[in-house]
Amino acid sequence: MSQLGPHADVQQVPGRDDLKQRLEARIQRLERAAGNGLWSMVLFLVISFFAFDGFAILPDLSDDVRRMLGKPPPGEMISLALVVYAFSCIVRTLARMSHNIKPYAGLMHAAFFTAFYTFYQLSGVLQDNFWAVFFAGLSVMGLDNYYLWAHSNHALSKERALLESMRRGGEEEGEVKQAGTGAKKGGR
Amino acid sequence: MLNSINSRAIVPVACAVTGFVIACCVLLYTFVKDDLIKGEIQHAADLSDTIIKSTRYAMLHDDRETLSNIISSIGEQNLVEHVRIFNKKGLIMFSPDSEELNQFIDKSAAGCTECHAGPEPKPSLGTMAKARQYTNSDGNDVLAITAPFYNEPECSNAACHFHEAGQSLLGTLDIGVSQDPLKQTLGQLQNRMIMFSGMVLILTVGAVCSLLYRQVFLPIKQLADFTEESSGDSLGDEFPEVSGEIARLANAFQKMTKRVRELEHRLLHEESEASPPDTLP
Repeated sequence: MSQLGPHADVQQVPGRDDLKQRLEARIQRLERAAGNGLWSMVLFLVISFFAFDGFAILPDLSDDVRRMLGKPPPGEMISLALVVYAFSCIVRTLARMSHNIKPYAGLMHAAFFTAFYTFYQLSGVLQDNFWAVFFAGLSVMGLDNYYLWAHSNHALSKERALLESMRRGGEEEGEVKQAGTGAKKGGR
Repeated sequence: MLNSINSRAIVPVACAVTGFVIACCVLLYTFVKDDLIKGEIQHAADLSDTIIKSTRYAMLHDDRETLSNIISSIGEQNLVEHVRIFNKKGLIMFSPDSEELNQFIDKSAAGCTECHAGPEPKPSLGTMAKARQYTNSDGNDVLAITAPFYNEPECSNAACHFHEAGQSLLGTLDIGVSQDPLKQTLGQLQNRMIMFSGMVLILTVGAVCSLLYRQVFLPIKQLADFTEESSGDSLGDEFPEVSGEIARLANAFQKMTKRVRELEHRLLHEESEASPPDTLP
């Protein structure tokens, strides 16, 4: 009987290790992607925290800067843009969900909702419209994050199952080969 | 739990509808509030115009007693927080509050800065720019309007007291009205909107969720249980109480199971017939 381990005689199929490594890398990437949405949500919540008291932490804009920026847009226009943006984002995410298209995982929504806070602040109506931006952001980003999480989890379970089946296949193949070599040795 | 078909169908819709309805309600409230405030400003501007027109005759005749009586009567109104007329220099000439008579108004005070912000005062202002909102020393929210008395030919030509023809502004009326009724209306509006939004959310999210659960998810769960039972030894006599497409699916599955069983039986029968009988030694 050989003193080596049970898999010593296993001859790996060419490319199997490579495929396994790629699968593991993909699993890691998916795990990271599932958590990425949370970062944009956290960023949005932190910005909302500062926006709640009208960005009091930031210094007031000087008259020169205000003059340079020009007249701020009216509050009604910003609100209209907010409704259109939130509505189109929700419709787009629901459409992605229904067609099973890869979800969006980035900071774009957080940046856009920060821009809405900023425009409201410059127009002097942030206090009245804070909760509108907050709930619109929460629903859009919540929906996006939920889809990202569900999509990543689904893909992760598939990848893990594939990896598991590869491992099982490798072990079974090893056992078969080991049994084969044992039979040959016994035959001699 | 979040991977189940229930949560995959209900959570996104509930999340999207709830957030969007709340955001839209907040925006709608802001729009209505802005419109009400604009209406209130217009109302106060109309009131100031009425006062200017009412006092015109007394001013032309330099009837200070009548003018003082008019201003005192207006000041007695419940919702009028203050009313005063001051001259071009900012000296208060008429007011129901005797303490502020003959006092100078600071040009840097709220309500004056709109015109006196630059080196040259602005000749005229729009209705919205004439208005200012503030909280007075009693803690009441006040909407105030400043309306100018412009020079007219009748004023400069009057025999009683003479204004130079080149003098464009003779004085200013400043009137402040309480915003309590507006605040009360906005409070009622807020409560009603919260109530209606809640009802809309309960109806849409609740009704959709319960209908989906009763009509889709529960039959699917029953069907899943039925198929799991049927795939075992027993055929699953308790056929789930479902209707429509799910009933068709259940029927099809039941027929398929029966057929598979029949084929299995036939195969076993053929195998037993084909194998040679055991012979006794």
